[in-house]
Amino acid sequence: MKDAVRRLNEEYQFKLTDKEIDLVAQQAEEAALLFKPLFEVNVDGITPLTKVDKRERQILAPKKGKK
Amino acid sequence: MKTVDLEGLTIGVLAPLLKKKQISPLEITKNYLERIARLNPQLNAYLAMAEDDALAAAKKAEKEIRHGKYRGPLHGIPLSIKDNIATKGVITTAGSKILADWVPDHDATVVERLKAAGAIILGKTNMHEWAKGSNSINPFYGTPLNPWDTTRIPGGSSSGSAVAVAANLCLGSIGTDSAGSVRNPASLCGTVGLKPTFGRISSFGGVAGTGGYTVNHFGILTRTVRDCALVLNQTAGYDPKDPLSSDVPIMNYTKTLGAPVKGMKIGIIKGYFDQCITNEVRQAFDEALKALKKLGMKPEEIEIPHMDLIPAAQAASTRPEANSDHDHYLRTRPRDYSPGLLYSLIAGLLTPAPVYVHAQRVRRLICQEFDDAFKSVQIIVAPTIFSPAPTIDDCNRGYIEADGKRINLQDRAGNFLTRYTIPFNVTGLPDMSICCGFSSGGLPIGMQIVAPPFREDLVFQVASAYDGVTEWHKRNPPL
Repeated sequence: MKDAVRRLNEEYQFKLTDKEIDLVAQQAEEAALLFKPLFEVNVDGITPLTKVDKRERQILAPKKGKK
Repeated sequence: MKTVDLEGLTIGVLAPLLKKKQISPLEITKNYLERIARLNPQLNAYLAMAEDDALAAAKKAEKEIRHGKYRGPLHGIPLSIKDNIATKGVITTAGSKILADWVPDHDATVVERLKAAGAIILGKTNMHEWAKGSNSINPFYGTPLNPWDTTRIPGGSSSGSAVAVAANLCLGSIGTDSAGSVRNPASLCGTVGLKPTFGRISSFGGVAGTGGYTVNHFGILTRTVRDCALVLNQTAGYDPKDPLSSDVPIMNYTKTLGAPVKGMKIGIIKGYFDQCITNEVRQAFDEALKALKKLGMKPEEIEIPHMDLIPAAQAASTRPEANSDHDHYLRTRPRDYSPGLLYSLIAGLLTPAPVYVHAQRVRRLICQEFDDAFKSVQIIVAPTIFSPAPTIDDCNRGYIEADGKRINLQDRAGNFLTRYTIPFNVTGLPDMSICCGFSSGGLPIGMQIVAPPFREDLVFQVASAYDGVTEWHKRNPPL
């Protein structure tokens, strides 16, 4: 993750110090761990949510559970 | 003309007096401006005042009412607007250094509608930098202070709005809420805070980058449930300028106020809302449930199978959505963000696109689970925050001490101050926080009332029934 932060640092010209790069990389690693369980859910046939109008909610896919 | 004590004044009380010409809109506006001049240096609720515009609008309201052109319950009513909502000719900073000098050339739709209803806009309220946090410790404009105890945070990000309402520095305020930013400060300051259904109030004129597109809502802070309904009546409804606004028909939200709730089933979600809850909040919430039972409501445990994924779904949605609006400033003015915000925005750039899309699919699943739950209950209730307001020192060191243990304010899944409110951003469900008690230290505690999509009428019905048998909402902070 540190390499990815360094690449962003270069592209965006943030001028981050090494300590700051470590901090950001740590946050990104924590986020990756947080997001991991999302992929343990079976979402076959479920389209992304875009609005919560009743009309929108009526086209819900069949209920799916954890894999 | 009558003189009015601003302490504890409500829209519901003032509006009929204005209509009957017993109170002058100009006098009342002057009274609020004087009170703000006296108390704002201590509380830091307002970032900018719109004094000239407010006085001009008050004069106009006075003239119109005198000539029998009464526009309705908000005519001549002094309100405030969070500083990430565009106000024509009035500075709009979003609590940021980057927008320190921005003066919009247009009003947000919600501001336009309030002005059309005759409301008086007193000024812009302080907030967390770019609305990206809930302690509102703001390095650029100072930290708004909780009027119940000025060593404590008021919550956020709509902190100034909640402080202004609780301290009687206006009669209502418009905030925004992408993780709890209306309900969280409402809970910590003891006011009413409504986040309506996603799309119920137009978001046009919200400052880009102050909330993810699919989780952000405009909301209302007032002293009473009735006042909240009066403001929603004027601000709800489809807006062609906001493609995410809803065309589901609006209602008269005052209609269900005071209606009986006997026989209604209340859903209680077990587990999720027990995370780190303090004893004082648990006790207050249990007492509130007893009061609802006395009203004839029937609590029932419900299950939301994927509740545990809500923090991940929220973070995976809001980070990329809000980041897209910061790209320009990240490239040109990165050091004009506070360091903590800069780091989290950069980390947000590393969220892979499949994570975002997958999170939206999980969100639909969670919405369906809530829809299923609402087949057996009419309403869901939950505590708003796990603890009463932390001190500013607690926030700076990152934890509170309660019930003999240390509770961190942040973990991998995000901010604990918004942990209980994000389920209703992920699902877009209408949710109101009302005061349901006070801690032993005299700090307000909030309870959330949640209904199916576009059933704000049910939220108002239950909230008003609860307020009818309790006195919490009548307390004033010791200023």
